[in-house]
Amino acid sequence: MKHLSEEELIEQYYSRGAAGFKRHIEACPECAEAYAALQTDLDEMKFAAPPVRDPAYGERVWQSIAPSLPVYEARKWSWMGIGQWRGLSYAAFALLILGAFFAGRLWEHRQPWTTAKSSPPQAQEHVAPPQQRIVVVVLSDHLDRSERLLVELKHADAGSEEMVSPLRDEARSLLVANRICQQNAAKIDDPALATALDRLDHLLDGLANQPGGVNSATITRLQEEMNADGLLFQVRVLRSRIPEDQAAKAVRSKEGEI
Amino acid sequence: MGKNDHETIKAVLAGDKEAYGALVMRHSHSLFRVAFRITGNEFDAEDVVQEAFLRGYQKLESFESRSKFGTWIYRIAVRCALDRIGGNKADDSSRVAEEPDPEQEEVRVADEAAGPDRLLLSGEIGALRDLALRSLTATERAAFVLRHMEDCTGEEIGAALGIPPNAAKQAVFRAVKKLRSRLAPLRAMR
Repeated sequence: MKHLSEEELIEQYYSRGAAGFKRHIEACPECAEAYAALQTDLDEMKFAAPPVRDPAYGERVWQSIAPSLPVYEARKWSWMGIGQWRGLSYAAFALLILGAFFAGRLWEHRQPWTTAKSSPPQAQEHVAPPQQRIVVVVLSDHLDRSERLLVELKHADAGSEEMVSPLRDEARSLLVANRICQQNAAKIDDPALATALDRLDHLLDGLANQPGGVNSATITRLQEEMNADGLLFQVRVLRSRIPEDQAAKAVRSKEGEI
Repeated sequence: MGKNDHETIKAVLAGDKEAYGALVMRHSHSLFRVAFRITGNEFDAEDVVQEAFLRGYQKLESFESRSKFGTWIYRIAVRCALDRIGGNKADDSSRVAEEPDPEQEEVRVADEAAGPDRLLLSGEIGALRDLALRSLTATERAAFVLRHMEDCTGEEIGAALGIPPNAAKQAVFRAVKKLRSRLAPLRAMR
């Protein structure tokens, strides 16, 4: 007689045992023993019950997400109409930047005398005005990094210098990118993005530029502010709103505008 | 219930944003239950519920009226929970074992000196089971939760996890085998 495998026994346990299986078990002591052991193991696998939510839980969930949801008709019009143009304009911006970058590189290669570094002194009078460095910031990456920082801040042990120091460094790095994104949000007239970025700016500034360094009181205050604003959730909402097309996520700024 | 959901969805798509609130309130508890079982964490579960309803709203136009909204949003929540535990894998491993042994793949509890009596008395058996559950891969854990606790079929698990039904069954088999292996010491206490 062919014995049942453990996988077959597991399947029978969850499907409550077919008639053919029961006959086999009655005729085969080994399979009956194995099945009894499996049954006992699985019957005893009881895990922590989910905590009970009060009846108002659904209402609270709704209140927490409602402000982030656009009205559908407007959303449809916005995403299919203006949103599409906005996406295309982002893509065009990104392409323009890339084109300008490669054109600049090509031009530099062909006319090495125009660069300050390689030019002989007598040629420097022909040097074109210094080019403004172009900084490209990808909004989705910025929001990803910001989310990670906010999660770390949320769980940060205020008394731990080891934990606080990397947070401050990351905040300083993010602050510059955030200001570029703020400028872009203002240009494209996206109030939800602009508001979230303003709050993020305030928090990053507090973390990065606290006079006298970041101490436990600062961390606690920032944690409270972050929770009160629902900033982490706002950042998650914005991140989920961004289309996958990477080209549509790029914003730019020239160095002089930062 | 299903018909009401469909009418509500039509209202939302016609511009009545507030109508979505009724769907959220109707399905929040069931989403929280499955999210908690998969993530094993109350706060993560609450985040998962919010994220699922958010994603659901954004994809509402793609919802096919022949299916049930409850099933559809439940699947979204399972995916969100799966993403969450997948992303927290490093945290999980640190909770399960301080120095995990990849060869033995055994769960190491914090107090190995604790005797069976103490374990029984302090309710640590339950904690040991939860640790064993957390030591599974994200897919195995979700598949096991859906099969063992939510009573889903292989087809339903596959649809929720975005994998073929046979792969879902295999994930359940692997989960049960690993859990039995890791919880074998408990048999001696029976």
